Amino acid sequence: MEKERFLSVDCKSRDMNSGAVADQLPRPFLDLSWEQPVHHGAQFESAISSLVSSPSSNPSAGNGSVVVRELIGRLGSICDSGEISQASCYRTPLDSPPKLTLPVLGHLQQGGGGLPMPGNEMADGQFTPFAANPGFTERAARSSCFGTWSYGGLGDQSGLPEAGNLSRVPRSHSLKSAGALRMGVLDSGKDASKSNPERIEMEMRSKLGGGMPPSSTSGRTMAGGAANNVSRRKAASKGRGKEAPLSCSNHLGLQAAEDEHPDVKRCKSAKNNGADKDSVVKQETEQNIGASQKKGKENNAKPPEPPKDYIHVRARRGQATDSHSLAERVRREKISKRMKLLQDLVPGCNKITGKAMMLDEIINYVQSLQRQVEFLSMKLATMNPQLDFDLETLLQESMHQEHEPLPQQLYPLEGTSAAFSYAQRPQGSPLQSAITNGLGVGQQPLCPFDGLADATSQLGNFWESDLQYVVHMGFGQSQGAEFFSQSLHAE
Amino acid sequence: MDKKHDHRAMFSSERGHDGLVERSRRIKMAAEMGLARSSRGRHWSRALHRRLLRRKGATRGGSCGCKDEALTSSKAVEELGVGENEDDAVEVEARVHALQRLVPGGEELSVERLFEETADYIEALQGQVSAMRALACLLDELERDKRVMGG
Repeated sequence: MEKERFLSVDCKSRDMNSGAVADQLPRPFLDLSWEQPVHHGAQFESAISSLVSSPSSNPSAGNGSVVVRELIGRLGSICDSGEISQASCYRTPLDSPPKLTLPVLGHLQQGGGGLPMPGNEMADGQFTPFAANPGFTERAARSSCFGTWSYGGLGDQSGLPEAGNLSRVPRSHSLKSAGALRMGVLDSGKDASKSNPERIEMEMRSKLGGGMPPSSTSGRTMAGGAANNVSRRKAASKGRGKEAPLSCSNHLGLQAAEDEHPDVKRCKSAKNNGADKDSVVKQETEQNIGASQKKGKENNAKPPEPPKDYIHVRARRGQATDSHSLAERVRREKISKRMKLLQDLVPGCNKITGKAMMLDEIINYVQSLQRQVEFLSMKLATMNPQLDFDLETLLQESMHQEHEPLPQQLYPLEGTSAAFSYAQRPQGSPLQSAITNGLGVGQQPLCPFDGLADATSQLGNFWESDLQYVVHMGFGQSQGAEFFSQSLHAE
Repeated sequence: MDKKHDHRAMFSSERGHDGLVERSRRIKMAAEMGLARSSRGRHWSRALHRRLLRRKGATRGGSCGCKDEALTSSKAVEELGVGENEDDAVEVEARVHALQRLVPGGEELSVERLFEETADYIEALQGQVSAMRALACLLDELERDKRVMGG
C-alpha cells in the first residue's frame, strides 16, 4: 500500500509524458512475481531493477524511457539507502489501514530531490503482482483516493480516510499517469498482452459493460476512472495543458487532480456515493474512451510537457496531506529557503536559529546598513564644505554622455563635490562628467587604492588636481576609463 | 529636466555649516538614487526610486511586475510556519512588519517576496556602503595629501 501511495503521491510527471511511458511499463511488470503484497526492500529493489531494464524494451517511450531509466536509477540508489525503512513501511499496509506514510518518499526527497516518476513506475511495477491479489483492487481503490477513483462497491472504507490524506498535490499528469498505470496494471493482471492505452481502455470498456461483482466493480470503476483520467489527461495535455475539465468528476471523485482543494471532498464523496456512480462512471468512461483513443496516439507522440505551472509536492511522513497544508508547506519551504539566503547575507547569523531571532538579526542588519549610508553621506558632506563648480554644466554634459551618466549623475555629483572643489580651475565639463560617470559606477566593490596607483602612474601631472583623476580612476576603472579618454580627446 | 533644476537649486543653496545637514541629506539622496537605479529590476529599487522622486516633487508612475504578492499579515505569518506559539507568531509578525517598513516597497509584498527583496536590498546596501566608504577614504587620503603637499 505504501507503494501505491507512493505512486500516487510521488508523481511528478513533468519529466515524462506519463501516458507514453506508463503504457509501456505494465508489460515488464508482469515478470515480477510477488508472493505477498508486503514488499520488503529486496523485492522493492528487484522491482526497481526490472523497471530499470524494462524501459529499454519500450521504444515508443522515447523521451520518457530515458527519463524513467534515469529516475529509476536514482530511485534505486535511494532505495538502497532507504531499504530498511521501506521494508518496515511496506510491512504495515496490510495489517492496518495504510496511512500515508511515505518513508520512501521521504528518502526520495532527501536523496533525489526530484524523483517524480520513479516512485510512480516502481510502485506500478509492484502493482502488477497485486492484480493477482484479490485484495489488490480494494487496496488500489483505497490508495487511489487521491481523487481519481470512485469506490463503487468498496466495502472496506478504512483505506479511504487516509487515502483522503493522500497527497493531492500531484497534479493532473502525475495523477493521470497513475491512472494510466493502474489501468494498465489492472488489465495486465487479467490479460497480459495490453500494450497500448487504447486497447486497455477498450478492455475496460468491455468490462464495464459486463457484469460487475462487487470487488471487481471497484476495480473496474477504478479502471474506468483510470480510463477517465487517461482520457482526461490526454485531453488536457492535448488541449489545455493541465486544465482538462472534469465535468462529472466532482461528485465522482474522478477528478484529474487539477484542483487541490476538492480532492479530499471528492475522495470522501466518492466513497459515499461510489455505488451510485458506477453507472455514471461507465458512461463517462465510454464517452471518453472514444475521444481518448484518438488522443492517445497523439499524446504518445507528444513530447513530455513540463507542468511548469504546477507545484508538485510530496507529502512527508507523518504530515498532513490535504491540499491546504501541502500548499502551505510548499510556501513555508520557499520561505525558509529564502531565510537561509538571508542568513548567508547577514554576517554572524549562522548560529542563530529560530525565525524570530533571524528576522531580528536581518532587521538589525538592514537598519545598520541604512544608518551607515546615512553616516557616510554625512561624512562625505563634511569632507569638503565648499563647492565651486558649475553644476549645471556638469549635468548638461552628463546628459550628453551615454545613458549611464544620467542615472548616476546625482550620486556621483554629490559624492564628488569634494573632489570638484579641489579643482583650481573648472575642468572641462566632459572631464567632470567622466569623473561623474566613473564615480557613479561605484556600486560594486571598489579598489580605489589600486586605481590610484594606476592613475598616478599613467596620467602623471595631466590633471591640475590630482584628486579628480584619482577619484575618477579609482572608481570608474573600466567605464570611467572610456569616458576619461573621451573627455581627454574632447579637450 | 526637473531633476536638473532641483539639483541645481539644492546645490546652490547649500553653503557653509548650515548646509551640512542639508548637504548630507542630498548626498544620501543621491546615494539612494544611485542605489535605486543600479538595480532597476527590483521591486524595492523601483519603490525607492518612486519615493525619492516623490520627495523631489516629481511624480512618476512605475509599473511593478509584482502580482499576487500582497498577502495579509496573518496569512504571511501563517506561511512562515510559525504555528507553534501564539506569542511566536505575533513576534514574527511584528518583525515581518518591521522588515516591510525597512525595505522600500515592502508593505505590499508577500513574505517570500519580501525576503527576496530584502536579500537584494541588503546586497545593494552593502555595495553602496562600501562605495561610499571607499570614496570617503579616498577623499580623506587626498585631503591629507593635499594638506601635506601644501596645496
